[in-house]
Order: sequence, then C-alpha cells, then structure tokens
Amino acid sequence: MAYPLQLGLQDATSPVMQELIHIHDHTLMIALLVSTMVFYTILTTVTTKLTNKNMLDSEGIQTIWTIAPGLILILIAMPSLRVLYMMDEVNNPHLTVKTIGHQWYWSYEYTDYKNLEFDSYMIPTQDLIPGQFRLLETDHRMVVPTDSPVRMLITAHDVIHSWAVPTLGVKMDAIPGRLNQTTFVVSHPAVFYGQCSEICGANHSFMPISVEAIPLIHFEDSSTSMLAKI
Amino acid sequence: MSSMFRMVGKQLKTHPSLIPLFIFIGGGATMSMLYLGRLALKNPDVSWDHKNNPEPWNNIEPNQQYKFFTVNTDYSKLKKDRPDF
Repeated sequence: MAYPLQLGLQDATSPVMQELIHIHDHTLMIALLVSTMVFYTILTTVTTKLTNKNMLDSEGIQTIWTIAPGLILILIAMPSLRVLYMMDEVNNPHLTVKTIGHQWYWSYEYTDYKNLEFDSYMIPTQDLIPGQFRLLETDHRMVVPTDSPVRMLITAHDVIHSWAVPTLGVKMDAIPGRLNQTTFVVSHPAVFYGQCSEICGANHSFMPISVEAIPLIHFEDSSTSMLAKI
Repeated sequence: MSSMFRMVGKQLKTHPSLIPLFIFIGGGATMSMLYLGRLALKNPDVSWDHKNNPEPWNNIEPNQQYKFFTVNTDYSKLKKDRPDF
C-alpha cells in the first residue's frame, strides 16, 4: 500500500507489476541520463568564453545526434511494446470475479461455483479500529487465491468508475454498459489496497478496493464461510 | 514530384549527414502506416463488408491470433472450450 512521502511505485506483488517496475526503471534511467547531458550542454554553452559570430557547420555531430536518439528510442520502445502485449494476454484463469462500481461502493460477484455476491463499503474514519488504515479499509474484502490467474470482469452500475490496485499493476475503467476484462496473478498472501480511479461524484475518494490474497488451500474455506455469512 | 526527389538527392550528396534522418523518419512513418493498414484490414472489431462478413468479431476462431505479437501465449495450442451457436 502507499506510505507517506512515497516517491516511487509500490512494491510488486504480481509478475506483471514486476515487469512494469523494471521497464519504468529502464526508461527513467535513460530519461535522467539524457536530461543530465542536456543540462550540462546548456550550462557549458551559456558560460563559455569561446564565441564565434559566424555560422558553423559540422557533418559528424549531425550524424551522431540523429542516430543516437533514434537508437535510444528503439531501445525504449521494444521492451515497452513487449510488456504492453504481455499485459493483454489472458492465461487460463482459475477464477473469475465480477466487480461492479456503484456510487459509492464496489460489489463483487463470485459466480463460478455458487452465487456469492457482496458489497464492499469503506469503513468510516470514526469506526476504524487502531491499526487499520484510514480511507483504505472496507467492511468486506475481495478474497482471491495466491499463485492463481484471476480474471476480473469490471463494469459499473451508474457512472464511470475505475478499479485499481497499484501493487498488482491493475487499473481498468468500470464503464456502465460495457464489460472490461483484466487478469492478474498474486505472488504472495497479503492484503492489497486501491482506490477508485475515475471521478464519480461526491464520495469518489471514499470507495476503496481491498483485496485479500490467501493460499489456495484455504481459499475454499474462506468462500464457504463468506457464503454462510452473506 | 520527381523534381522534388532530384532536389533532395542533390542536397543529400552535399550533406550526407542527413541520410540517417531519412532512414529513421522514413522507417518510422512506414511502420506506422503498415500497422494502421493491418488494423484497418485485419482487426475483427471493424466491419467493412456488410454482405459477406457483417460481424467479423463473431468469426474469430478459438486459436486464432488476432493481435500482432504474443509474448507468452501460443495460440496454436489453445483449446476450444465454449459452445457453438
């Protein structure tokens, strides 16, 4: 989850997010190197005592500063396109969960085996137990098994919302009348938080998402007890 | 049109450092146009021929690769596991 004064991306808990972090590091490093070089060039150009009032020309440097940026851009584009296509692949999901965005809560449906449906409202700040996270906790969490590809089918009931969990590398708009699909695999058991990522009215900041990943052997027990409760 | 090419060719002979520029820009433009053409012709989201193929999105085989590039999925190995209509 996010922490105060955070500067970078959250730690990855899915293979896709790991790839995204890797490519972000690669691209940011190139951007920082280029910016440093440009800044140094400008600095030396502005502070130099060597001035020439005639037009200067140089074939060599023109060739270099065409080829080098071209190669750099190709080196950025190739991994980027690879990860882009990788994110779109649906790889035999073990479980399908449907989530519907409402104003202002999420509802989850597990209809693969039995009909499990529940709503997930934010826990108001005054009702938090010490140790819980403000504006991130929900009364019912979406439970998924670890190491299993999970397919999410995302839509909305009223206005556009967006289902996002940064640590899993997932963000998908929930659009009324449209079913969007995304998949993820959770690497280890934990609780992951996200927030609605498309402005949807007064309580847009107060409809978080919390995903609880538990080992596969315990997943059936958890769903059964959830079914009994609801 | 050909006079424009001849002018460009003359400029290239005196300034050969412009050749990489043509390669990169020309290559980029060619790749964009080729991909746009592929999207226009082979994308199953678009219906061009209303008589013979009115709904291409309904004619995709279960193991047909409709994306340009795959990383982990081998489309020829996919099984068909949904009902026919």
